[in-house]
Amino acid sequence: MSLYNFKKIMVVPTAKDFIDITLSKTQRKTPTVVHKHYQIHRIRHFYMRKVKFTQQSYHDRLSQILTDFPSFQDIHPFYADLMNVLYDKDHYKLALGQINIAKNLIDNVAKDYVRLMKYGDSLYRCKQLKRAALGRMCTIVKRQKSSLEYLEQVRQHLSRLPSIDPNTRTLLLCGYPNVGKSSFINKVTRADVDVQPYAFTTKSLFVGHMDYRYLRWQVVDTPGILDHPLENRNTIEMQAITALAHLRAAVLYVMDVSEQCGHNLQQQLDLFNSIRPLFANKPLIIVANKCDVKMIAELSEEDQKIFSDLTAEGIIVIETSTLTEEGVMKVKTEACDRLLVHRVDNKMKGKKVHDVLNRLHLAMPAKRDEKDRPPFIPEGALTRKKTMDVDAPKRKTERDLEMEMGDDYILDLQKYWDLMNEEEKTDIVPEVWEGHNIADYIDPEIMKKLELLEQEEELKEKAGEYDSEEESEDEEMQEIRVLAKQIREKKQLLVATSKEKDIHGPRMPRTTTKVERAKLEKEMGGLGLDMTDKDDSHYAQNARRSRSVTKKRKRDVSVVPTSKTRSQSASRPPRDQSGLRDATMVKKAKIMMKIGQRDMIRQGKKGEGDRHIYDLKPKHLFSGKRTNGTNDRR
Amino acid sequence: MRIEKCYFCSGPVYPGHGMMFVRNDCKSFRFCRSKCHKNFKKKRNPRKTRWTKAFRKASGKELTVDNALEFEKRRNMPVKYNRAIWDKTVEAMKRVEEIKRKRQARFIMNRLKKGIQLKKEEDIVEVKKNIHLIKAPHAGKAKQLEAKMVQKLQEDVDMADEDL
Repeated sequence: MSLYNFKKIMVVPTAKDFIDITLSKTQRKTPTVVHKHYQIHRIRHFYMRKVKFTQQSYHDRLSQILTDFPSFQDIHPFYADLMNVLYDKDHYKLALGQINIAKNLIDNVAKDYVRLMKYGDSLYRCKQLKRAALGRMCTIVKRQKSSLEYLEQVRQHLSRLPSIDPNTRTLLLCGYPNVGKSSFINKVTRADVDVQPYAFTTKSLFVGHMDYRYLRWQVVDTPGILDHPLENRNTIEMQAITALAHLRAAVLYVMDVSEQCGHNLQQQLDLFNSIRPLFANKPLIIVANKCDVKMIAELSEEDQKIFSDLTAEGIIVIETSTLTEEGVMKVKTEACDRLLVHRVDNKMKGKKVHDVLNRLHLAMPAKRDEKDRPPFIPEGALTRKKTMDVDAPKRKTERDLEMEMGDDYILDLQKYWDLMNEEEKTDIVPEVWEGHNIADYIDPEIMKKLELLEQEEELKEKAGEYDSEEESEDEEMQEIRVLAKQIREKKQLLVATSKEKDIHGPRMPRTTTKVERAKLEKEMGGLGLDMTDKDDSHYAQNARRSRSVTKKRKRDVSVVPTSKTRSQSASRPPRDQSGLRDATMVKKAKIMMKIGQRDMIRQGKKGEGDRHIYDLKPKHLFSGKRTNGTNDRR
Repeated sequence: MRIEKCYFCSGPVYPGHGMMFVRNDCKSFRFCRSKCHKNFKKKRNPRKTRWTKAFRKASGKELTVDNALEFEKRRNMPVKYNRAIWDKTVEAMKRVEEIKRKRQARFIMNRLKKGIQLKKEEDIVEVKKNIHLIKAPHAGKAKQLEAKMVQKLQEDVDMADEDL
């Protein structure tokens, strides 16, 4: 319960912010408009409201701070002690006390000024009173600046404390710095505590969780403890001591056999003896770590004696190496078992057990006959249980492969496929062919069906279904076809020519136009008649007899004055020769001119600037069926 | 990857093209392009819209019942990959496609045979009616007449000679 609240403490604002927030809130949430000519009770009410509102805001926020921060009586003594170690109980209580005092002072100020406001007789006076009230309240809060800062820091640190449940099954690691406590917790749980060669890498308590026998266990890693009396200990060591003192846990005292931590075995033994009183009533195991460097058997006589003394006293010593992982599981199982036994014993000694025991009854079935009926446990369950106790090496995962291969790694899930032939796993499976899905054709009986189809096909071919039908057309039919085609073409031509005429105005009948002799002869010649030698035909004679066209009289050519213009034209070179040196240049210039005009002429434009589009909706783009594709050009 | 069928025009919808619409009764409709999608939204019946494959099949303009068409069918049970089966299937598929195309072409050809007949008759009628546009009725007649007259004169001369 106490763990939960630490994260829910509201932010403690700095003094300046607190004042700003409250004052702006007052301005926003209370009416702002008041005039001199209002009735006096209205003016008084207006300013009293502001004072009371400010007082209310401060009061609320400060009370919230006071209730949010845990009191030392309300929380578990482990946390109380831890907080004392980290934040100093006195300072903490003082800060909260100051806040309380500030709250009361603010209330008093508001009360006084509201009382005074009742006697304010003008807007100006009421306003000054309100100003004074707010000013005093804000000064009170300003004086609490240091308390508020301290409380904010405490809050931030509190919310980051590890959530250790003091009542559940816990393993506690302690020992000198650098002996291997953090490595141990990293191996046994999923925690990722920093492991570094310098002392005091772990500066606070860390929690890891592990599973054993279907139960959840906490493993608590402490900072290293040095051997000096309690009074000389600093905050970091005190955290470890607090944990040792308050948590009912199995203690794992870690020793460094190889003395790499910088302290020899005798010093470690001395430390052990000095904190021994803290291990009373707790299952104890001594973990002789770093045995890959040096085993106990390799030690000198005196050092071995230390260990033999400890075992003689009845304390279990287990050799481990967090590097090679030997002995780690043994420690875990041993510690967990012993703690469980210890807890069960305690519970049995307590009072609550009897209530439960009275209600429990284990029923044993009476034997029917002499046949032996042992409980059946399938083999798989036994093997699984074994692997649960001793973590079997897990199979190599893809992630491990990825880490090994680094940049060369390619995810290839096809290698896990379950196929009949192993070599086919790396095949590229075709999926599509020419717009058809191959998966649609896959059928175990496809060959049989294909056989049937081929037979059908053969039969059909034999029956002559696929013969291309060329009806032998006789010559007459061919001729008719050719003639018909010519007729159609001629018809189209006639229609086209008549459309081209585009006559505006009154239409003259066909007979008014004179038929020219050459045209008549050409047309009739096209139709197959023989038109040579028709000079004495009727139409030719008629043509001669009609009045010959009289030519117009030629106008007299007037004499053009030559004096001025000729001289000008002689002195100025003509435009197409000016600026050009020789004949080749003239030629080239002409060619360039023609090239420049070529596009314009081809598109039928009047000039460079002619952008007129004659046909905004050309028929060929807008007519016809719209199948797949674009209609921008067809 | 699959090439789906457009709901409206029955054309192929390649991956990365077209749209899919899922209705509230969990039926999904795929469209190959916005033309089909818009027609669908206008509630047009693909069986009545002339340019779609559904219309062509429903009005008998294309081959519908045939053994070669039974090979391509969407099956719901996936088959485990086996190189032999896949190879065989690919070969069989190519052969089936050939046969299918031949048969579809033959069907359409048969359907259009009537048109050829009609065209022939039209040609004959056309020639009969409008031959005057390309050939004058008396086209070769002048020469014929001349030849006839010459022949007749020759005969007269001959007869006169005989009499004499």
